[in-house]
Amino acid sequence: MAVGPGVLDATAVTGGGRLGRVRRWWEQEHVFGYGLILPALVLLACLVAYPFLMAVYLSLSDYWVGSPGRFVGLANFREILGNDVFRQTVRNSFVFTGIALTLKTVLGVWLALLLARNLSGKRLIRGAVLLPFVIPTALSTLGWWWMFDSLYSVVNWTGIRLGLLNPPGPNWLGVPAYAMAAVIAVNVWRGLPFFAITVLAGLVAIPREHYEAAEVDGAGAWGRFRYVTLPLLRPVLAVVILFSTIFTFSDFNIVYVLTRGGPVNTTHLFATLAYQVGLQGGNLGQGAAISLFLFPMLGVVVFLQLRYIRRE
Amino acid sequence: MTTGVRGRGARIRSAAWAYGNLVPFVFFALFPFYFMVVTSLKSNAELYSLASAPLWIQRGAIADHYRFLLERTDFLVWMRNSLVISVLATGVSLAISIPAGYSLARLRFAGVGGFGTAVFITYLVPPTLLFLPLSRVVVWLGIADTIWALVVTYPTFLVPFSTWLLMGYFRTVPREMEECALVDGASRMQALLRIALPMAVPGIVCATLFGFTLTWNEFIYALTFVSQTANKTAVVGVTADLIRGDIYYWGSLMAGAVLASVPIVICYVFFLDYYVSGLTAGSVKG
Amino acid sequence: MSARVDRRQFLKTAAASAAGMAWLASGRAPAVAQKRELTFLSWNHFVPASDDELRRQAEVFGKQAGVAVRVDTIAHLQLPAKFAAEAQAEAGHDMIINAGSNPFLYERMLADVGDIVDELGRKYGGWYPFAAESARTGSGWRAVPWFWISFPGTYNQAHFKAAGLEPPKTWADLLRDGKILKRQGHPVGIAISHCNDAHSTYWSVTWSYGAKVLEADGKTPAINSDRTAQVIEWYKELFAEAMEPEVLSWDDASNNRFILSGKGSWIHNPISPYNSALANRLPIADDLNHHRSLAGPAGIHSAPPIVGLGIWKFSKNTALAKDFIRFLYRKENFDAWVVASNAFNHPPLRSFADHPIWLQNPKLAMLPKEAEFAHPRGWPAKPSDAVQRIDNNFILADMVAKAVGGMPARRAMEWAQDQVAQAVKGQLKAA
Repeated sequence: MAVGPGVLDATAVTGGGRLGRVRRWWEQEHVFGYGLILPALVLLACLVAYPFLMAVYLSLSDYWVGSPGRFVGLANFREILGNDVFRQTVRNSFVFTGIALTLKTVLGVWLALLLARNLSGKRLIRGAVLLPFVIPTALSTLGWWWMFDSLYSVVNWTGIRLGLLNPPGPNWLGVPAYAMAAVIAVNVWRGLPFFAITVLAGLVAIPREHYEAAEVDGAGAWGRFRYVTLPLLRPVLAVVILFSTIFTFSDFNIVYVLTRGGPVNTTHLFATLAYQVGLQGGNLGQGAAISLFLFPMLGVVVFLQLRYIRRE
Repeated sequence: MTTGVRGRGARIRSAAWAYGNLVPFVFFALFPFYFMVVTSLKSNAELYSLASAPLWIQRGAIADHYRFLLERTDFLVWMRNSLVISVLATGVSLAISIPAGYSLARLRFAGVGGFGTAVFITYLVPPTLLFLPLSRVVVWLGIADTIWALVVTYPTFLVPFSTWLLMGYFRTVPREMEECALVDGASRMQALLRIALPMAVPGIVCATLFGFTLTWNEFIYALTFVSQTANKTAVVGVTADLIRGDIYYWGSLMAGAVLASVPIVICYVFFLDYYVSGLTAGSVKG
Repeated sequence: MSARVDRRQFLKTAAASAAGMAWLASGRAPAVAQKRELTFLSWNHFVPASDDELRRQAEVFGKQAGVAVRVDTIAHLQLPAKFAAEAQAEAGHDMIINAGSNPFLYERMLADVGDIVDELGRKYGGWYPFAAESARTGSGWRAVPWFWISFPGTYNQAHFKAAGLEPPKTWADLLRDGKILKRQGHPVGIAISHCNDAHSTYWSVTWSYGAKVLEADGKTPAINSDRTAQVIEWYKELFAEAMEPEVLSWDDASNNRFILSGKGSWIHNPISPYNSALANRLPIADDLNHHRSLAGPAGIHSAPPIVGLGIWKFSKNTALAKDFIRFLYRKENFDAWVVASNAFNHPPLRSFADHPIWLQNPKLAMLPKEAEFAHPRGWPAKPSDAVQRIDNNFILADMVAKAVGGMPARRAMEWAQDQVAQAVKGQLKAA
């Protein structure tokens, strides 16, 4: 229920004169609202709008690093669609994002529920679970790389000692399925704390009375989760999933460090392929087209999800 | 608390179940870190021996890799840069996104939906290439090759993110309280600062933690906008200096990863307190 | 209400700490160099002592010229992003390391250095043709060839001796011996993956078998051929019987670790593992040795990495940068730098090539001769941005990887032919 301007006039604002008029003006809901988002808009207009429009323009031109280009319409998009490395990348991205996101959502909510319990030592546990998010990705991914190294893999060494793997163990980064599993594992490892901690904060915001009421009604653990937790968690969950979708789709570091897209391009994602084509290969136009390829689709998804969130 | 409803035995069983469930999570989260620590403490001879066990240290822990990092590189300078940049960039971003998030979540005015979407859409722009046009902006602003290049550009990805995160939290704050305050004669700014803001503290802590972590870990802008060793961040400094062609200094790289994580771990421990206090207070009570 | 107070407290603390940090940052003295500054962006040299020597010379030059010279070095894989950003912003360093096809990719952005190339060439016995070709674009010299990195065979002589084998002379020898070595637990290793070493080897092998990737015109794909099929067969057999599947996941550092660990018996690589074994006093240094590039039916050919020096057009210190380059190429300086690299840096100028350092160590003695076998990548086509793209997109390694993974050679070649055609199609218009 919005507060009508009438209420304001009557009660909130006292005093007259110029200051009073400014204050009255400022107390109007729309003025106040615009005022609060103004800094954000200025920042984004100056530092994001120009680069963004530039990136869009790049994708429609035959721009090269260090040389001007001209407008070529959708030629870049036609060209990348005709390339089977790109089509492979599209498939990889959906497999990667689909699996990683599902795992992160399910495990993240589960972990958050566990973390929300009043266990002794919970601070320690929370701190431990957060750690993967804390270590700089560019460095932790190197650690994972070392764990998957073909000669010194600690994963294989341990697995073999425990009798779980046959020597020499899986060639983690050399076989398409294993390599994909490896990059997904690292992504989940890194992204899980983001889910867990945010969902946990959402859980905390749920008033206890709701649970008590549900308990009085005889709801079991699952019932409480299904009919109290989940619906009330939805706004937070929607935002987290939305962000994670974008994070995951645009992941760069993990693949770039672990496989550089190999073996035979089976782990290339949009960002790594765009880097390879646009920066290393110099074809900025095509690189931009690759990285913006999902933009329209993600845009629609975001739009729908935002509408959904707003309705909540 | 539900002590009265269930018996002691049931409570212990339930706690044991929870701990049991947490074990795999904690193991999964900690193992790579453990492994990095172990690697950073091994001598090169052991590290590159096929006969030795990668899982633990057999021939004695050594601090050589740490010493190398601290004495032969500018690691401490990089750490200070990272700290200054992360705190400033996160602070600026929060100062911008708290009001924006509140405005978009709470207030009704023409175009609010459009603004919300616009703020969000910027987040879809892939940073892999965004840094190219942005590098031109940075030069134009005259802050290339300084830490300010990062302080100014990091909010571009932090603001959309924090704004949307905070929007979610502001929505969980009951509207009635602010309305009461307004009726009692508070100005809108007072309602925001005194009522909504304290209630959204868990969200703000979240945004701070994530913002701090994102800036601390950011790589591509830090690599491209800064060249001088004295202005590099920890992540870029460590990888740029310790990967030498086809030779990796694994021990020192892992030592760098461990040390670079320490301040941020401390910061989490510090913030977790507030986080937990928000938790026990039952958070939102009308 | 105590929670409320806590939160206020939290907000206050947060605000205070942000203010404190701002103060801390503003207190930092800005590193304003009042002196004129020449800046050079290079990679972390694979032999660290080489960079130390470079910095020492930079300092000496700076003192003489009354300027400050700053050498920034970063990991070589990070360079492309840096170059792209500097070219886009038209600001950054004055000089850059200019490896591979960079002079072609950034042709419009790099200053012409023809004067200094001519001068140095006249003075020091001329440039090796392969080095010159990789620095001269259609519009002039966009780089001064700086050094090249010989790419011989590195082998563990203890393993070869134990198997009663001599070092190989041809790629066919390697296949034959590799089978024996693998059975003894010491396989050979050639990367078939997304890394630079994978290309270096593929180009060498393909030329040795008389196959090519592009026609001499630089436009017509020529990879789909019977000779390439032979190369693929050779790779398949080597992969199955003399190597282990791990080569599919290798990066540039993996083969170094493979031979330094004592497991591997042979790799195709610059001498960096040997140098790093010496520097770290690893006992395996005694077992490591090098042999000249391997031969095939079409002779001996090698694709060593070739590195040049470039000056951005936007630099305001072009003349100073050229003076610095002249300084680096003074005989005493260049020699000292070669020595510091422990014979890793090969001079592209003929009269520098007879430095005694190679003769001092019999394990390195044959390296200068590698110059005779060297071509820039793309040969018989001229180097170009299209060649760069063939490498950057890992087309050659992926073709081989597809074939060893079971795809018929014919289909793998068709795939590569198509990819090469696309790499050429997007070709950058000449400046």
